[in-house]
Amino acid sequence: MIHNNKKQRLEDTIHDIRSPLNNISMHAEIAKLALNNELPAEQGRASLEAIIANCKTCSELLQALVEP
Amino acid sequence: MLTVLLVDDDPEFTHIACLLLEHMDCDVKVASTLAEARKWLSSLTFDHILIDFMLPDGSGMHVVDEITAISSPPKVTFITGHPAIKSIIADLCDDNTNYLVKPIDKDSLSRVLGNNNNNVAACENAINKHFGSLVGETEAMQHLYQQIERVANTKANVMIFGESGVGKELVAQAIHNQSSASGAFVATNCGAIAKDLISSELFGHEKGAFTGAISRKIGVFEQANNGTLFLDELTEMPLEQQPSLLRVLESKKLTRVGGTQSISVNCRVISATNKPVDDIATDNVLREDIYFRLAVFPLTVPPLRQRKQDIQLLADAFIHEYNIENATKYAISDKQIRLLQEYDWPGNVRELRHVLYRAAIMSDPYDHTLLLPMQIGSPFSKTTQNGGTIEAGRTIDDVEKELIYATLSKVSGNKTAAASMLGISTKTLYNRLHAYGDFEDEGA
Repeated sequence: MIHNNKKQRLEDTIHDIRSPLNNISMHAEIAKLALNNELPAEQGRASLEAIIANCKTCSELLQALVEP
Repeated sequence: MLTVLLVDDDPEFTHIACLLLEHMDCDVKVASTLAEARKWLSSLTFDHILIDFMLPDGSGMHVVDEITAISSPPKVTFITGHPAIKSIIADLCDDNTNYLVKPIDKDSLSRVLGNNNNNVAACENAINKHFGSLVGETEAMQHLYQQIERVANTKANVMIFGESGVGKELVAQAIHNQSSASGAFVATNCGAIAKDLISSELFGHEKGAFTGAISRKIGVFEQANNGTLFLDELTEMPLEQQPSLLRVLESKKLTRVGGTQSISVNCRVISATNKPVDDIATDNVLREDIYFRLAVFPLTVPPLRQRKQDIQLLADAFIHEYNIENATKYAISDKQIRLLQEYDWPGNVRELRHVLYRAAIMSDPYDHTLLLPMQIGSPFSKTTQNGGTIEAGRTIDDVEKELIYATLSKVSGNKTAAASMLGISTKTLYNRLHAYGDFEDEGA
């Protein structure tokens, strides 16, 4: 039973972590375009800030897995 | 300009996706619920709908049902972050319906928007054929490409070594394609010519030279003049026939059988054998002088088991070829590729091609899913497999992965039994599978 709960929790976390991961991937694309001067530099900076914020979200989700 | 309706309840995602789509010259409208999407659809027409599979007020599937009533319905791409849902959506896909799995990048967005209706063409562009004939990007193949490039610019004779089915003729063709030769590429199989006809095949004959010689025949050496002559299975040529070949190679002149005139020939000779280089002398299949004349530049084509990372590219290329020939739309999954990579391929690329063609023939053409045989193998595979597959140059991680998958296959996927057989805990086995990216397939 405990094993099943753990498995469910892991599956939920894997699902939840995909959103910030997806945001990281897409913000990285925006940052790349900004670096190539295809988008304003300010937009690139905002995306890099968003990447850092989404990384923290990922970290918190992972940390929650090992905390009781 | 493409008009796109983006339906997703995650505002951060829709904001970034809008930026990317607008940069790709799309006119984008955003909805966060099914109700909002319906409103847009009732007032505007769209070329494409990008829609989350799970929305707060229902499944994106409803939209597909509703838009079928529209005279020219937009194409639909489902967006999902859940691998279990991915397989359900994959079953629904057709010319008008596609799916994207998060995390999404610009290329995947561009692919579904630009080539939704033309996956076959997209696939063709993605397959990179080196020198117009060779597929593969592994280190072993890169080394081979470098050698081909170097030798192609010279006039040196080349001898190609490699197991049966590795593609020696394609390598010969690649050298010819890359060279500046003005003549043709002519291939002949020394093992397939009757002993008495070898001279006639190589050098040609005059009318009446022997019984049955009813007209003049031009031999392969003359046909390949100013080009490339490929002598496959050279070591199958009888030893007593080899001196006449040597004479032509040294003098660059030949006389047709039954003729008297000496004819100059100028061609590069590329020969091939499936015998290991060490066996050539010990088995007494090739004269030493012929070897040194032909193997000015020896080249070895690696067997498929030493470049398993290329199996994905090769499989894609073969399936694409089959799809073009038969107007089908088969695709191969990542899981099937892993299955193919577990096998040792004693018949090399030729065997892989035949397995995929056989699978395509056996599959349901309306399903688009390739049906691989339950067990891949040939009458020749056992003897080779028993010889062991561990080769120097592979990493411990690679060998460990192969052992884990082989054990799982042996116990029909039972992880407890596999862990016990491997002498590790079930937890460690799960950790390894997770690291290989196999955990998602377990229904996570």
